Amino acid sequence: MKYMIMMFGGLGAAIQDRSPEWIVSMHELLMKLDTELKESGECVASESLADPGQAKTVRFSGGAPVPTDGPFAEVKESLAGYWILEVDEERALQIASQVVAYTEYPMEVRRIMDHSAQP
Amino acid sequence: MTGNQRIGDLLREFAPQVLGVLVRRHGQFDACEDAVQEALLAAAMQWPGEGVPERPRSWLLTVASRALVDAWRADSARRRRETAAALGAAGHPPLADLTTGLADPGRDDTLALLFLCCHPALSPPSQLALTLRAVGGLTTAQIAAAFLVPEATIAKRIVRAKQRIRDAGARFELPDQLQAAERLGIVMQVLYLVFNEGYTTSSGPALQRTDLIAEAIRLSRLLHRLLPGEAEVAGLLALMLLTDARRAARTGTDGRIVPLADQQRHLWDTEAIAEGQAILTRTLGTGPVGPYQLQAAIAALHDEAPTAEATDWPQILALYDVLTTVAPGPVVTLSRAVALAHVHGPRAGLALLGTLGADERMAHTHRLEAVRAHLLEQTGNAAAARDSYLRAAKMTASMPEQRYLELRAARLHHPTPTPGPVG
Repeated sequence: MKYMIMMFGGLGAAIQDRSPEWIVSMHELLMKLDTELKESGECVASESLADPGQAKTVRFSGGAPVPTDGPFAEVKESLAGYWILEVDEERALQIASQVVAYTEYPMEVRRIMDHSAQP
Repeated sequence: MTGNQRIGDLLREFAPQVLGVLVRRHGQFDACEDAVQEALLAAAMQWPGEGVPERPRSWLLTVASRALVDAWRADSARRRRETAAALGAAGHPPLADLTTGLADPGRDDTLALLFLCCHPALSPPSQLALTLRAVGGLTTAQIAAAFLVPEATIAKRIVRAKQRIRDAGARFELPDQLQAAERLGIVMQVLYLVFNEGYTTSSGPALQRTDLIAEAIRLSRLLHRLLPGEAEVAGLLALMLLTDARRAARTGTDGRIVPLADQQRHLWDTEAIAEGQAILTRTLGTGPVGPYQLQAAIAALHDEAPTAEATDWPQILALYDVLTTVAPGPVVTLSRAVALAHVHGPRAGLALLGTLGADERMAHTHRLEAVRAHLLEQTGNAAAARDSYLRAAKMTASMPEQRYLELRAARLHHPTPTPGPVG
């Protein structure tokens, strides 16, 4: 089964008040974990998203789709990056815990829907 | 050099030559290009085990010709089935004709191929993909790996590009003189884009990105050999060599960006620097000075400086002044502001940046803000510099850039404590 681990925009804001050493260690932790997950074959995909300040939202307004500046959700709730992993729930939670233990910032772990009729 | 590497080099050297011969004989660029790609794949499978044939170019031409005939037969068989029409592959020359003799050896079709692949009807991504395959002799899989996209994406891009070329009625010939300058401009732009794709993004497996740099330099060398009198082509090659010479010093062991001023200069490639300088010296003054030569001259001044402090900034500023008149643009202004700051102080640089604030083309790049942050830091305004770094960090879509900018901001917020006097 597949799980998605999501990081949110609030982490970026939290980084602003951290020391350079803390930031360097955090990037090292994330990169190491990412490499491990890719090498073990557990990682299906992983991406980081650009800052939500650059986002646009297309809304249906006045009978037509209209792009407006800014993300749909509040910046701190906006998706900042994700891992898609081929793992069971226990392992997904264990991976997320490794990151949260360091960043002290929450992550969401969610099951990805199956395409086959028989799960 | 390993055997496989030698085979790879051979294949890539012959790819445009074989394709040129086929297209000249049969027209149908798209079908010929597919056939050559098949021949290259067959060679890559067979040669490492069976050894390189005695006449590798003829081998490739024979196999590509067979692939072309097979494709025609399959095509006409399909047509037969579909229309139940009478058999007849008339108009297609028999196999024997295809392989006798190569085009006269003095003729090199590579230039015509480059012009065709960089046809103005194509989008830049298509020009890039088609040039790398048809002229560079790379496989679809290699191109896909280098651009970090699925193989099917590149395959489709190439099919569509060839369709567009056919629809545009483009012919396999050198454009007339009036068009040639414009088309050459596009060819140089495509090669420079390939180079930048490899150089500026450090995302993805480093080795594959490096391949793009090597390929851009190889094709620029080829172009320079075909058009030795074109000063801007020489400038482009020199620019690539002088820029790529700094590659090893440009990123730290953990992938972090190291700015020019902090680079360990002993890591620079002195051979590439010497070659770039030699090309530039030979070229400057032989033709009209264009943006590639000017940028190469600026890169050469950086490369010549034994330390960052020893950089000849007044000379660099003078070159940016010329560049501003030859090829003005916001990116040139931005670089000129940096040079200006080095010569006349950060406030002079900041004043010039002020003129860019309203430029629409700068609204979606972090570069303006990043340069502003550096200059503000130099004036001693730590709070404003930090805000500027953070704004730039939010604007960039490059992970290494973002990490670099966040760290600069964090350093201003948490200054490394300077040890007080002992005792």
